Amino acid sequence: MYEKEKGLVDAFRRGQLSRRGLIKSLGALGVSAGTAGVLVNMVSTQAMAADFDWMKHKGKSVKLLLNKHPYADAMIANLENFKKLTGIDVTYDIFPEDVYFDKVTAALSSRSSEYDAFMTGAYMTWTYGPAGWITDLNEWINDSDKTSPTYDWDDMLPGVRASCAWNGKPGGALGSDDAKQWCIPWGYEQNNLAYNASMFDKIGAQAPTNMGEMVEVAAKAQKDLDGVYGIGVRGSRSWATIHPGFLSGYANFEEKDLNIADDGKLSAAMNTDGSKAFHADWVKMIQDSGASDWSSHTWYQVGTDLGAGKSAMIYDADILGYFMNGGDNAMAGELAFAPFAANPDAESPTPNIWIWSLAMSNFSKDKDAAWYFMQWASGPEHGLFGAAEMDFVNPVRKSVWESDVFVDRLNSGYPGYVEMHDLSAPGASIKFTAQPLFFDLTTEWASSLQKMVANEVPVDEGLDQLAESVNRQLKDAGLG
Amino acid sequence: MKARMTATLPKPRRFSVSRRALPYVLSLPALLVCIGILVPFVTAAYYSLQRFRMSQPWNRGMNWGENYLNFMSDPDFWQTLKVSLSYAFLTVGIELLLGLGIALLLQKRTRLNNFISVMLLMPLMCAPALAALMWKLMTNPNFGILSYLVESIGFTDFRWGSSPSTALFTVVLVDVWVYTPFIMILLLAGLRSLPTQPFEAADLDGVPRLQQFWRITLPMLTPYILTASLFRLLDSIQQFDIIYAMTQGGPGDTLMVFQVEAYLNFFQSTNVGRSAALMMILWAITFFLSNIFIKNWLRLRERARGEA
Amino acid sequence: MRDKRGPHVMNHTSPIERILRGAALTIVVLFFMFPIFWILLMSVQTNETILRSPPSMVFTPTLQNYQALITGRLETQAGSLDIEFMQNLWNSVILSVGSVALALVLGVPAAYAFARHKFRGSEDIAFTLLSFRFAPPLLVLLPLTMYFQELGLADTYVGLIWVYQLICLPLILWIVRGYFEDISPDVEHAYRIAGHSWLSTFRKIALPLAGPGIAAAGLLAFIFAWNNFIFALVLASADKQPVTVGALNFITASGIQYGQIAAAVIMSIAPTLALALYAQRYLVEGLSLGAVKG
Repeated sequence: MYEKEKGLVDAFRRGQLSRRGLIKSLGALGVSAGTAGVLVNMVSTQAMAADFDWMKHKGKSVKLLLNKHPYADAMIANLENFKKLTGIDVTYDIFPEDVYFDKVTAALSSRSSEYDAFMTGAYMTWTYGPAGWITDLNEWINDSDKTSPTYDWDDMLPGVRASCAWNGKPGGALGSDDAKQWCIPWGYEQNNLAYNASMFDKIGAQAPTNMGEMVEVAAKAQKDLDGVYGIGVRGSRSWATIHPGFLSGYANFEEKDLNIADDGKLSAAMNTDGSKAFHADWVKMIQDSGASDWSSHTWYQVGTDLGAGKSAMIYDADILGYFMNGGDNAMAGELAFAPFAANPDAESPTPNIWIWSLAMSNFSKDKDAAWYFMQWASGPEHGLFGAAEMDFVNPVRKSVWESDVFVDRLNSGYPGYVEMHDLSAPGASIKFTAQPLFFDLTTEWASSLQKMVANEVPVDEGLDQLAESVNRQLKDAGLG
Repeated sequence: MKARMTATLPKPRRFSVSRRALPYVLSLPALLVCIGILVPFVTAAYYSLQRFRMSQPWNRGMNWGENYLNFMSDPDFWQTLKVSLSYAFLTVGIELLLGLGIALLLQKRTRLNNFISVMLLMPLMCAPALAALMWKLMTNPNFGILSYLVESIGFTDFRWGSSPSTALFTVVLVDVWVYTPFIMILLLAGLRSLPTQPFEAADLDGVPRLQQFWRITLPMLTPYILTASLFRLLDSIQQFDIIYAMTQGGPGDTLMVFQVEAYLNFFQSTNVGRSAALMMILWAITFFLSNIFIKNWLRLRERARGEA
Repeated sequence: MRDKRGPHVMNHTSPIERILRGAALTIVVLFFMFPIFWILLMSVQTNETILRSPPSMVFTPTLQNYQALITGRLETQAGSLDIEFMQNLWNSVILSVGSVALALVLGVPAAYAFARHKFRGSEDIAFTLLSFRFAPPLLVLLPLTMYFQELGLADTYVGLIWVYQLICLPLILWIVRGYFEDISPDVEHAYRIAGHSWLSTFRKIALPLAGPGIAAAGLLAFIFAWNNFIFALVLASADKQPVTVGALNFITASGIQYGQIAAAVIMSIAPTLALALYAQRYLVEGLSLGAVKG
């Protein structure tokens, strides 16, 4: 590092210079914002090293399995600091999301010792945990020899943290006292509304505040705007179709996926009257104002269409709207955000959440070294770096949400984003029942939705068939 | 030397042990490499007789034929069987008609025809997974050229792979695009090797050309047609790349063919028992068909040799 | 020899028929060529011009998609993105060449044995080897993921090349065996009697005579190996993926890069297309030998 830069960064450390001031001054010296962030993080990292023996596993190496994602990009951008801090070498394999989870399953089911840690969602751990493929991380988190005192586990948003813990009993509540911490939250998504503000202005529409309004506004946008469809939601034959907007709205009506009897037996709950009414609205909305190729829409198409100005709004992950509002997307800067409670009688939104997390392979040859990486990657310093300099949103740490740098950045470029997040955060959690047939159930649910949208089966009948099939499968697996 | 040459020689002069072992020595490496494949096959057969879901290891155990018995009452299985068979027969049927038609058009050995037949091989050189990607781009409702063309001739609501009513059509179309050239080139080779005398005789007798086609061309070409279609049928019933890349088996259960269903069963539901049982059934079907195919092919080869 | 039998020559074609034939051929050529042409056009456009509606042929061509693929860096919104497409391409080359080479080494002697020596069990063995061509790939692949781990073959080129034999070996056996059978054994006998060893007979006489058949079989096996998708999808880790799987990489969380997908498709099919044009004679021969004549 050059002397001038170093002086500036040290001044920042001593508190003589604000973070923004520092980045500005570094910018004047020709250091880009991203690099400046890395420099700052390097100094923080040096400070970190004082309290804990980070060099304990020097010379070892750790291999990661990563999904192609901005979170992974943010981590890789900061990785040199980890290597310097610990002397541990880190290598990784990155796969696109289309095949990522299949690769994880392939590696773990064959008990491969190649990867020490990997990215996952909380839902997946409901398979990996009982299968014996991943490790309960409580053992590491609670061991002060292995975890730095600055790690601050209690800094994690409690709902998000609890959503990554499960006791392994089908139907068991997430975050219960006997729960195992199957993964560490990394970044998370709430599902809300992102809309094209200029399109809405043009047709004189307001952001809808409940399901009925959403159906109307989507239809109006579809009708009044040329070459644009009303609303983007996912529709591919996959669990991913169920978990974003769809389940968030569904849960807002207090509908559930499964019932849990007193004896712990599970049974399908998606053929209630309330559920049928919600499904009917949803299906009609897609038929009237969804994408014409809705049934192939994944995260990517929903986002790309919003970013390209082909759709007027999306009811999907908040960060998807966030990504589309930046970069070289045609609609960058045109998007706005709003919390969304589907049920007119509900007080606030109840988004289902997706949590990208880090899990440790049970077949790892050196779990302690892997844990060093995991605690660094999910620690407060990297969290702040990623959120402030890269697209590591939404952060899972309270301290990052309290940081002015991060909040200012959001407020200046992403109108309504912070309010949306804060308003829906209290009701945000995983709305699925944790159980090992998660993927069978959700895939079949998505497949039923596709049939309903294609008018192959009426909504009521489709849901009765779905419930019947789910019950049969639960029985076959000894769960129902 | 000369004396020996004139003796009847087709048989080697003497049989030593090493000579008798030679063919085994030559074919053994190839066999060994393939036998490695038999091990996983047996493993799969064994899994197919188990209740085996990786997310519930405590439930694992032999349940013998239960996975297969369950198929009987499982509507998803029958859907899979139905789609796989319809896909296979539709693609082969269309490719055969189209391939035969094109081969007849190109039958004459002219420079232009030869050039066209080589050009037509190009789709066959595209990996099916990539071909599916190409067609997906062309049928994208936002910018796809095909969506645009179809819309401009009046089909405003044609949704290609995204609607259950047209999904099968769409994947069959891609399959036809990739594999028709295969059938075409085989039938062209067959057509061009037909003897000329029967046709000359028919011309002299004034037999109309259409009749010549039905009475002479088609019967003589039948062995080629049969082998080519069986070959394609075996590949087609196992289709994975195109369907997986285009719709992952959707929308609904419209395109849940054997290999896609087994893939999802394994990787998403981690239901190894069911996945293996599905593959065993597919194997039984292909084994049955490939027996017919190989026997037929051997007969055809004998005949070709006899004529040569 | 077969080529003495000429084609059936049509002498009397009316002008109407000729026009109809021409029209039919034009449609056929359009249908089969158009997709490749269109993707080629897409590959020299930016996402912006691709996303215009209605689609238009008027645009300023750009090579930026190819440039990004070749240099491995794509400059976009959130900074630059690393792409490993060239590595994918290289993997495809290693896997296809390696598999075909191994299949030739193993397959040609075996094909020779089957063609020249009727030994006990020869038909059964040949039949077994042929039937591997039609085994459903997933049936073998899924259990194989587990065995590969134990054997240490997971994530190695060697392991993949071995599995690729499932496609290449039966094909080579099949075609080359038929070719050997077509060649009269007399020449070899004569050469043997002249005092040459078996090995030198095989090398100096049998192999050269069967050369075109071996070339055809190798070419076809190469194309099948290159186009394979499912083997590597299931068995290979990121740095061993061939282009067929690698083309999925241009779908990123922050958007789909349509122009690059198109460029990647073109670059992935270019080698097989070029081969097909260059060695069309062998290819056509291989195709018809492989499935029909033998």
